[in-house]
Amino acid sequence: MLSIDLIDETRVICGLEITSKKRLLEILARLLASAHPRLNAEVVFERLLERERLGSTALGHGIALPHARTKDVTEVIGALVQLQRGIDYDGMNDDEPVDLAFALLAPEEANDQHLRLLAQLAGRFSDPTIRDGLRQAESPAALLQVLNISSSS
Amino acid sequence: MKIIILGAGQVGSSVAESLVSEANEINVIDTDTRRLRQLQDRLDLRTVIGNAALPSVLRQAGAEDTDLLIAVTQSDQTNLCACRTADTLFKIPTKIARLRSADYSKHSELLDAKNFAVDFSICPEQIVTDYLLKLIEFPEALQVLEFADGMVSLVAARAVEGGPLIGHPVSDLRRHMPEIDARIAAIYRRDQPIMPDGNTRIEAGDEVFYLAATRDIRQVMTELRRRDQPTRRLMIAGGGNIGSRLAEVAQERYQVKVIEANEARARELGSSLNSALVLCGDATDETLLISENIDDMDFFLALTNDDENNIMAALLAKNLGARRVLALINRRAYADLLQADRIDIAISPAQVSIGSLLAHVRRGDVAAVHSLRRGAAEALEFVVHGDASTSKVIGRHIHELDLPRGASIGAIVRGVSQDTPGASLRLGQVLIAHGDTLIEAEDHVILFLASKDLVPKIERYFQVGLAFF
Repeated sequence: MLSIDLIDETRVICGLEITSKKRLLEILARLLASAHPRLNAEVVFERLLERERLGSTALGHGIALPHARTKDVTEVIGALVQLQRGIDYDGMNDDEPVDLAFALLAPEEANDQHLRLLAQLAGRFSDPTIRDGLRQAESPAALLQVLNISSSS
Repeated sequence: MKIIILGAGQVGSSVAESLVSEANEINVIDTDTRRLRQLQDRLDLRTVIGNAALPSVLRQAGAEDTDLLIAVTQSDQTNLCACRTADTLFKIPTKIARLRSADYSKHSELLDAKNFAVDFSICPEQIVTDYLLKLIEFPEALQVLEFADGMVSLVAARAVEGGPLIGHPVSDLRRHMPEIDARIAAIYRRDQPIMPDGNTRIEAGDEVFYLAATRDIRQVMTELRRRDQPTRRLMIAGGGNIGSRLAEVAQERYQVKVIEANEARARELGSSLNSALVLCGDATDETLLISENIDDMDFFLALTNDDENNIMAALLAKNLGARRVLALINRRAYADLLQADRIDIAISPAQVSIGSLLAHVRRGDVAAVHSLRRGAAEALEFVVHGDASTSKVIGRHIHELDLPRGASIGAIVRGVSQDTPGASLRLGQVLIAHGDTLIEAEDHVILFLASKDLVPKIERYFQVGLAFF
């Protein structure tokens, strides 16, 4: 189910240098919005923030899966960012800094498929080999390859 | 959370002090180098010298990485301008502006995203004034705080010999008043918190915190102490921002005398207040207090800008026979020293108004926060979202919840519409919490935390889980 339709290299950044969750969500929103001319980066940013206010999307082990819904998409789209250095994501001292974030933007109507996708991503990220692979990847293509998302699959 | 505070005055400094301990990264901007140095000596935060509304200054303070802007300078204009700048140039998600002039808040369209981009406006002086009005209305209470837009109140009162519940277990409350439901959330005995269960006995001198529907709070109070005479006559020392606001509202229902030291200010007040009596003089002047029948006063409120002055005036008034005295005290150490001793109520304006800001700093959907016991304890109103699989609380009975010691749920307000806050909120239903109360999605859950240290745990517990889409 993790297919090229979900994400492609244009929505992946490798080795980004930023220092805050706010900037991370802003950049993910920009990447998501680039998927379709109808999408507005500011609105997507606002949606991600709204969701984040209700509860953190940090998964543990330095991973975050920010996500939101919008009526402006018909299929789920994703964006991925690998950071140079981890950032404080939850504002709680005991948390691991986040250095990998996979964002999802889903259509408004409730659908189990989105939940399955979220669960599937969470499953991939819970594998330490995949996490190591993602941290060592040096290009967007390599990142997608570790996640087993490529145009050939 | 990364926070920029504009203005290192009384409001800004106390906000910084309250937030700095909570794993927040704080940057304070002010034009006054001396004030900033004082703050930095005392607290772990960064400072930037400059005009708070300038893009370059905001950038220097890290605006691009900031989650929350709190613009609390003395100038409404600076605060508004800073919010607009922060929105356009730096996309700071949440912007709070202090607006002292009611003119702006009357035109809410000026504050929306297209205009000044203020997400929330606060007026600390108004919050303190409302707080004082509650104390005038409930002379038996030490504190009356509202949740769910006023539907539920949290009341702090001292139990006094003669109250029907004194010496009895908490569970007797139900027997004494079968028609009224209330929950005793905490008891402070000799300053130590007790989390009561049904068997806990209330002693005279206990400071009792209880939650009830606002319409019932007076009835519950009669269980803890005999009813005091209602307030009729008030004397306010200090006709400044808070004193004049209070006098203006209070004069409609009470006999009000205001003592103001500054002659020009006294004259100005005299002409703007139609039924309150304004006197020019010194509130620490014994002869003046006596000649104005201080011994007839139900409530004496010392509200000048000067802590020492307020303390002295309140002590003097009490000594001369005022029934109840209150002093506004900015320095926390002074307030700790005085409460419950010879001054009936000592309040720190910063403590009273900080809750309105904390609601935006707390993680999760928090509708209201009140800081209690001078910042040591806290009461929060959470709105719970999701379903039994994405929330740890929805679909559970209260007794099934795994709340940490020192935390208790006092009440739930159900059926509050999210879309039109304020107007339709009154349609909600107040449920006092019992073990068998089932929590539903969109409930407003009101919790009492005996220690602020419990906040992160509770935030996590009440947040939606990762799978909430």
